[in-house]
Amino acid sequence: MARPESKLKELKTAELRHEVGARRDLVTTVNRRSERRIIPYGEEFLFEKLPVGTRVIYPPPPLEPLADVDQAIRYALLHPENQDPLFAQLSPNMRVTIAIDDISLPLPQMRRPDIRERLLNQVLQTLADYGVDDVHLVIATSLHRRMTEAEIRRIVGERAFKQYWPDRLYNFDAENRAELAMLGKTGHCEEVWLSKRAADSDLLIYLNINLVPMDGGHKSVAVGLAPYQSLRHHHNPATLRDSHSYMDPTRSALHRSSDRMGKLIHESLNIFQIETAVNTRMYGGMLDFLHKNEDNFSDWDRTRLKGFQWTLKNMSSELRRTVLHNYAAPYGMIGVWAGDTEMVHQKALARVFQQYAVPVKGQADILIVGVPYICPYNVNSIMNPILAQCTGLGYLFNMYRNKPLVREGGTMIICHPLRDEFHPEHHPSYIEFFHRCLAETTDAVELEKNFEHEFARNPTYIHMYRYGNAYHGVHPFYMWYWGEPARQHLGRVIAAGCEEPEVAARMGWEAADTLDEAIAMATSELGRSASITYLHLPPLVIADVE
Amino acid sequence: MSVSNSRKTANGSRANPRRAAFYDLDGTLVGLNLVNAAVFMLANVGEWSGRLSYLLGFAARIPQLYLAERRDRRLLNTVLFESFKGVSRDRLFSLGEEYCERILIRNLYPRAVELIEANRSAGIAPVLVTGSPDFIVAPLARHLEIADFAANRLVYSRGLATGRLATPVMATDEKAVWCAQYAVEREINLSDCWGYADSHYDTAFLAALGHPVAVNPDRRLRAAATNRQWPVIRFEKYQSPQDREFPDAGGALDELSEIQSDGEQHNEPISRYSRRGSDGAS
Repeated sequence: MARPESKLKELKTAELRHEVGARRDLVTTVNRRSERRIIPYGEEFLFEKLPVGTRVIYPPPPLEPLADVDQAIRYALLHPENQDPLFAQLSPNMRVTIAIDDISLPLPQMRRPDIRERLLNQVLQTLADYGVDDVHLVIATSLHRRMTEAEIRRIVGERAFKQYWPDRLYNFDAENRAELAMLGKTGHCEEVWLSKRAADSDLLIYLNINLVPMDGGHKSVAVGLAPYQSLRHHHNPATLRDSHSYMDPTRSALHRSSDRMGKLIHESLNIFQIETAVNTRMYGGMLDFLHKNEDNFSDWDRTRLKGFQWTLKNMSSELRRTVLHNYAAPYGMIGVWAGDTEMVHQKALARVFQQYAVPVKGQADILIVGVPYICPYNVNSIMNPILAQCTGLGYLFNMYRNKPLVREGGTMIICHPLRDEFHPEHHPSYIEFFHRCLAETTDAVELEKNFEHEFARNPTYIHMYRYGNAYHGVHPFYMWYWGEPARQHLGRVIAAGCEEPEVAARMGWEAADTLDEAIAMATSELGRSASITYLHLPPLVIADVE
Repeated sequence: MSVSNSRKTANGSRANPRRAAFYDLDGTLVGLNLVNAAVFMLANVGEWSGRLSYLLGFAARIPQLYLAERRDRRLLNTVLFESFKGVSRDRLFSLGEEYCERILIRNLYPRAVELIEANRSAGIAPVLVTGSPDFIVAPLARHLEIADFAANRLVYSRGLATGRLATPVMATDEKAVWCAQYAVEREINLSDCWGYADSHYDTAFLAALGHPVAVNPDRRLRAAATNRQWPVIRFEKYQSPQDREFPDAGGALDELSEIQSDGEQHNEPISRYSRRGSDGAS
């Protein structure tokens, strides 16, 4: 049997450095003849001229996907890291739980068959072959919204859905006290709670997708199957302020905390972790121009861009949202590993950094980012201002290793319309958080102290989380905390293209009608010699800042 | 307040909660409406001949009720309660008990009851604010252990219903006014209170409260809720398959919620996972 994994390069540090070093051409500087640049702007894309001298960081091209995904999965199950093969761990009377990453990954959703479907098909077949009948499939939603039947069917595939839904395939419910178990406390007094079904299982199999280095590892189980009682120990302002960055697990207090919890879980559970990595092929076919350096645009690329912009601009907002969220990305799987959580995650991380890392020299005074229409928490929903904040300050600011792309006290320009618009069924507590809590303070510590518990225990929000499709009542707080390192680091945040300045003001930001105006506002304080960096999306990039 | 009922606590003092949750009844806590109650009452009000005449009279009013409902909820209440003209007060109250026991309680949304209890546990006192008559609401309030409610009251003359409603008629803006008065009396802040209702006629009632929630909203309330960014929740009578997640999780999970079943249709037969060779699955 061929071994597709052997086709992958051995991920030695030296080679990785060499490969990443060859990516210096992904950092370009705008000159007078440079083309305008595509900037995500909510549910539209801007095409804007950037000031001469602006440094533009492009994502690396997609790595070559595995030639035979199913064979690679089979190989991983048969040759796991530091564990016996999956089949060797099975016996007919055992109780097995399979936890699956939820709809928040990957973004946008991937074309069918989803990786999770392919993994599930092989894992479930192996379990069936060895006579394991007591199998439950749990969507590891943690405090995310419940996935709908159609959404679950799409990610697990028809075969698993038909056989397991709804009795043995369901969303995790972090508010069902009868189905939670406390496993103990870490050395840092962190309570470790987990799905009781998972805790009582003889084998817990976790199916993960690593879209960015923040995902996977101990965080999969310790967060994905955990309730508020556990999450509050690391999803808080103090922990997140000590994370530099979320994309660098070695320097993230968030990851250190979830690692401690994960290790405690490992002491009482047998976990077979399966991690996958996908490449950056987010947009293919007619939209592949979004991946290109605009200086290399052909006439056909410009025509497509104009057509795309025109189409989006002329759609109703609902239709535009539907079209964008229904788009499925042609991601390619670039790795799959199984076995011991830490060893598996180490390999997955190396591969993910191989895909995303770009070396960048020095920090900038001003960082420009565009917040797109989607983030992990608004799939098939609305990108509300809190989520735009989380995407801009939480995720995009943290797309670095070593040092942030923008210097301390610098300015971040976030391109997004920032409308006072929320999904009343998906984000009910966000509405109150935005209009009531942020009206009183934007200080994360104050918000935690004054409001977090009230929202976390609010019966209506709990009801909507458990029986509707709402994010947990405490979720907007986490989204706000997510931006805490950026708020501590930055001097100013300016929302470019902001349609509702009062929304920006509510979040402590300044508002500018256009990107030019935002740049003028930033340079008026920092001077015309201020250095500007634009982090070009899509897809994604992680800057290794020297 | 003429339409309110408020019971004192065991030691004689009136409980003074910091926060309250105001619930509409028909369509919000229960999957029935006023017409169900009226038909039940009139069909059981007296001898067969009397029942028939009451029901025929009610049937004759249906076009009028339809037009009234389209025009104004207050008018609907007024027209509907005219049907009870001539029925004795005692009979109405005894039928109210019976209707509550036999019909109303059985049609309560289980998740609604769960939410009332959860709110109560969180220190949010329940209050019913409904256009239903007091002879139905009182036994229900007792069943749900709700101390305070506002309901419509018939005017009686010599023990018989006149068919007229006592003011204020609990509909549309009057609900909001009643809540404001209640809040003043109890020294609670309406901006800390929750409201649950299902109809666009309750928009003013919901808007008066700090935390309005649209429950199973009609088209116009849904539009208002979306526009005003009010949370929208759904109660259903039957449990959806998605909620049978934890068979041993206890009574709280024997209930219902909505799922979206707009999944893709697949016509080809799907093989099951089974031991290779046993049924041909690969």
